[in-house]
Amino acid sequence: MKKKKVLSVLLAAVMTVGLAAGCSSNGGDGSDGGGDSGTSAKDKELSILIDTDTSIAGFEAVAALAEEKLGIKITVETRPGGSDGDNVVKTRLASGDMADLCLYNSGALLNALNPAEYFIDISDENFVAGLDDTYKSAVTVDGKVYGIPLGSTQAGGVLYSKDMYEKYNLEVPKTWDEFIANCDVLKKAGETAILGTFADSWTSQVAFLGDNYNLMAAEPNFIADLEAGEAKFTTTASALRSFEKLADTTNYYNEDYLATTYDDGCDIMANGEAGHWFMLTQALSNVYELYGDEAVNKIGVFAVPGDDAGDNGLTVWMPSSIYGNANSDKDDLIKEFMEFYVSDEALDAYTSAILPDGPYCIKDYELPDDAYEAVATEMQAYFDAGKTEVAMEFLTSVKGADCPSICQELGSGQTNAEEAAKKYDDDCAKQAAQLGLDW
Amino acid sequence: MKTKKIYSTWFIVPAMAVFGIFFLLPMVISLFFSMTVWDFTNFRFCGLDNFKTFFSDSSLNIAIKNTLIYAVLTCGLKLIFSFFLAVFLTSKIRTKNLLRSIVFFPNLISTIAVGITFSALMHPTKGLINQVLGGLGLKGLDWLGNTSSALYSVIFTDVWKGVGVATVIFIAGMQSIDKSYYEAASIDGATGWQQLKNITLPLCRPAMNSVIILAFIGGMRTFDLIWAMTGGGPGYATEVMASTVYKQYAAGFYGLSTAGNVIMFVMIAILAFPLQKFLLSREVD
Repeated sequence: MKKKKVLSVLLAAVMTVGLAAGCSSNGGDGSDGGGDSGTSAKDKELSILIDTDTSIAGFEAVAALAEEKLGIKITVETRPGGSDGDNVVKTRLASGDMADLCLYNSGALLNALNPAEYFIDISDENFVAGLDDTYKSAVTVDGKVYGIPLGSTQAGGVLYSKDMYEKYNLEVPKTWDEFIANCDVLKKAGETAILGTFADSWTSQVAFLGDNYNLMAAEPNFIADLEAGEAKFTTTASALRSFEKLADTTNYYNEDYLATTYDDGCDIMANGEAGHWFMLTQALSNVYELYGDEAVNKIGVFAVPGDDAGDNGLTVWMPSSIYGNANSDKDDLIKEFMEFYVSDEALDAYTSAILPDGPYCIKDYELPDDAYEAVATEMQAYFDAGKTEVAMEFLTSVKGADCPSICQELGSGQTNAEEAAKKYDDDCAKQAAQLGLDW
Repeated sequence: MKTKKIYSTWFIVPAMAVFGIFFLLPMVISLFFSMTVWDFTNFRFCGLDNFKTFFSDSSLNIAIKNTLIYAVLTCGLKLIFSFFLAVFLTSKIRTKNLLRSIVFFPNLISTIAVGITFSALMHPTKGLINQVLGGLGLKGLDWLGNTSSALYSVIFTDVWKGVGVATVIFIAGMQSIDKSYYEAASIDGATGWQQLKNITLPLCRPAMNSVIILAFIGGMRTFDLIWAMTGGGPGYATEVMASTVYKQYAAGFYGLSTAGNVIMFVMIAILAFPLQKFLLSREVD
């Protein structure tokens, strides 16, 4: 009997040890392999994780130059965009499996990543001084700077087909009512008045988020009140108005807007098959990459119109940023690359590959002469007049995470503006709880 | 030596260790974290707030309703289709093996690939389904874009993909039925339909129960197909429990999403256990 007991315990031990050994030997092999490949490439190699929605021609040009000048070889790993992409980033950060460099949003979404834990603090580096202040505040969390801009700023507004405006004799609208009137003309003529690309649900938010200039113009204290838990989207008239505008668009979309993707949208705009598209100006670069000069210059841009014809302003998005992985053992190399990336030399290389979607976030670096017309004339006019405001996610960390679904639901006519605003308020409350705000 | 046991209880130690470490421990931990606001590094205890938030969430109501519709419909349709397919595939046909393989094939494809393929097929203007319908002079639907049809389009795809496994289980059940029952029945002059109703159906009850339980639980926790085809949209029209939980996770609300998982676990347990008990009680020997 005794023997049996001893034997079974022994067997159990052997199995457990076997299991453990199996795991550890696997792990060992993996890390050995990684180490080998690291040393064989002379240690001058950095990896970066980039989403597939971002146009990376500019980045690639800089990376090629970096390899030539600094001898740093950049390898690009890709991830999906949208919330699936957020998940990849968060999971890889949490499991310590992040690439050396990580491309991610600036502003509220960066805060949610807990950057102090995962990203290299670059506050004390010399090159940070050259960054534009508004941009810098969007990559600063608790007084520490973490990122450098991937490219230029961009605007969230209405892209429109200049050909169609000419054909139907339309003028760039100054108020929301004029905009709707333009849409009616196009709809009556059998054109797609507004292009919807709701298959990528993030695109449905642009009409709402791009209205931030009008909200801020009407309610300068909204952000402070929102963070204090006093202002709500439901009860603030101009905030609710942003949702009402999105609700107004429902009647004007293309027939298959719920199945049309962002990529489809770029094709449709390039071919002049739709009148308007609520979109970020990054789409201009996508169109330029695919179709070249001529197509992109047929697309114009105007800000989401407000209700006051005298006050038209543009909502601006800060670029995504490149962050250094704090758990990478290549700290110095990462900083060297970052410094290079924001140098004039690198910006020239960037600009020669892809034109900017708006002004750069580097002090004293001018737009190139051959910028897209929409950027060089139409967008620049808003900047010259000082009529710009950054999007809300760069002003506060309170951002409803479910915004894409709420906007998609509203835009497809399943809810009305009040219901959507209510849902968005609830959604913001979740974020506030996560941030530890006392609501 | 009065014990009758052949094996020492010590033999269950490895199994219990694995079960404890990989199943019980995570369950206890998740129960704990469901009551915190958590960002992987720090957590703050918040009592039952997460559950309150979850239950007051309007999208959760849609999700629970959709989950139940999804589970019941996929389970029911798979049951009916696979039963008749199995009857057909156990009958005396020549291409039996080939047909059995074909029925099982969809199950070998990755769910995500199936989802992507079907959402392309169901595209309202460019999709094959609507083009064929258009060619026949019919006007197709926006299968995945229309809020009232989207969920059913996904259910259809799930049934297409899952019917193979259910059929295989039924085939196994039917083949184990003793041929002498059928011989006796046909000598007594029973028709094919009577044989099916009075012999096949009751005697493959164990197989049927497995199919029901597997399909039902599978339907309750469905996620991948929904995510690949609609992402829970348009809006919240095809949101199910698992996709709601996933979205909270993606948003970085780790405590909240853990609470969602606990709710989902309890819900499945509450529905699945009585169902299984009921089914087993009706099994004939």
